[in-house]
Amino acid sequence: MHISKRQPWNLPESAATPEADFINRRRFLKAVGLGSGALLGGSLARAATSGFPSKVNADYRLEGLEPTAYDLIKGYNNFYEFSYDKGEVQELANKGWETEPWEIQVKGHVANPLKIDVNELIAKMGGIEQRVYRFRCVEAWSMVIPWDGFALSKLIDLVEPTDKAKYVKFTTFYDPKVAPGQRGGSIDWPYVEGLTIEEARNELSFLATGIYGKAIPNQNGAPIRLVVPWKYGFKSIKSIVKIEFTSKRPLNTWQDLQPKEYGFYANVNPNVDHPRWSQATERVIGSGFFSKRKDTLMFNGYEEQVAHLYEGMDLKRYY
Amino acid sequence: MASLARILRKRWILYILLCLPMAYVVVPVLQSDTKYFADPAKYLLDYVGLAATWLFVVVLSITPLRRISPKSALVNTLAYHRRQIGVSVFIYAALHFLIYYAYTGSWAEFVKDWDKLFILSGIAGFVLLLVLAITSNNRSVRALGSKNWKRVHRLAYLIMFLLIYHQAAQEKTGFRETAQVFAPLLILQTWRLGLYARKTLRAKNATTDSPNS
Repeated sequence: MHISKRQPWNLPESAATPEADFINRRRFLKAVGLGSGALLGGSLARAATSGFPSKVNADYRLEGLEPTAYDLIKGYNNFYEFSYDKGEVQELANKGWETEPWEIQVKGHVANPLKIDVNELIAKMGGIEQRVYRFRCVEAWSMVIPWDGFALSKLIDLVEPTDKAKYVKFTTFYDPKVAPGQRGGSIDWPYVEGLTIEEARNELSFLATGIYGKAIPNQNGAPIRLVVPWKYGFKSIKSIVKIEFTSKRPLNTWQDLQPKEYGFYANVNPNVDHPRWSQATERVIGSGFFSKRKDTLMFNGYEEQVAHLYEGMDLKRYY
Repeated sequence: MASLARILRKRWILYILLCLPMAYVVVPVLQSDTKYFADPAKYLLDYVGLAATWLFVVVLSITPLRRISPKSALVNTLAYHRRQIGVSVFIYAALHFLIYYAYTGSWAEFVKDWDKLFILSGIAGFVLLLVLAITSNNRSVRALGSKNWKRVHRLAYLIMFLLIYHQAAQEKTGFRETAQVFAPLLILQTWRLGLYARKTLRAKNATTDSPNS
């Protein structure tokens, strides 16, 4: 059922596809009811606020899959920069951490290095579009998220990598004053992730600046984050300040921490277990206590788009 | 302290205290907390497991506390309730085990991970707790004889090591939480061993010294 009338709890930014359009009214009211307390945090007009409303990209729509409720998307977050507790991140990431204005730097083996405000970058990319992607965490849970943003390949075309560029290295912000998790612990901050240049150029690789047609909440990686839906969630690095084109493969944070459990590729693969749990199935966030698990799909259901990148590769070895 | 100990000695007060962790779990439900609604089974699994672990730490702390402070009324009250607290560890562990079944969603999924040390350590610990719970009544003490009964219940130390592993294995980075939970217990146990070693040493010296005195 389509709701055209604006509900009072909707924030003023107009969205291409707000949550209400994805779900019927009864479920929507239920979702809002159970998370009304959480509405306070997160979605205030911050982060990269330009480019809305975004245009729906019909090629990435996931027919038959219902997107996860907005409250759960912004209330259940792994963001160790703030807390190890997924329920606590929302509050801590909205306590004095400024995500607008935000400068992002693109450098390394490129013809046109960049240092640019995220809102300006959005304008340069010709605005933003909305895509619905599956999201599969390495902890065996999953969501379905309508992201707003632009294809990473557009940015790559703009900066023109040279022949020496074989990998892309992404770096998250570092500011222990506002990010309590960065004040200690066993992680070598800032968080780093990487892709091969071929992976980065893949049509699915996406830089997100919004969710559900609104600026991306701080706890979800404001103002700009990577989304690579065929890989486990930790590859989709949040709150990027630097993108570097390198000739050497970057050492991503989780591989650095636990090389036996987390590799460079981290492709979603139901046939390769995590040492401590099976990856064959996943729990669907928001589906309740007694729900059955869902079978995890090879490359998280994106085999058609990405399988060719790994042809002949031993995926058990290169996990 | 003594009056607090007197109040705590009442069984029904102990039972209320032991139920508190279960009562507290409704708080996130009433607050419509997303951390609960996102994945209720996962939340309850972690919560109940941690409650069992804390109660287990309390039970294993009682003997060293008695060695260190034999006259404390509070410690003696704890010791008086030790068996009941021990059984409550088993009840929380059993709940944790049942919720784990719900978390996996089906029998096929449930048994799939038993080859992983993380899961195996939890199951082994639970089976041993079951043995201790079954033999926790007076009839079992009589049937086994107190010496054998004590031997059986020293399995608690094996459970401790299984639990430390199980707890540490579920942490993604470092061992912060495990250290928080188990450091006090390990310190108490080490202290107790120190006291024991000193006592036996002194007794040995006393016997070797005796001819001269």
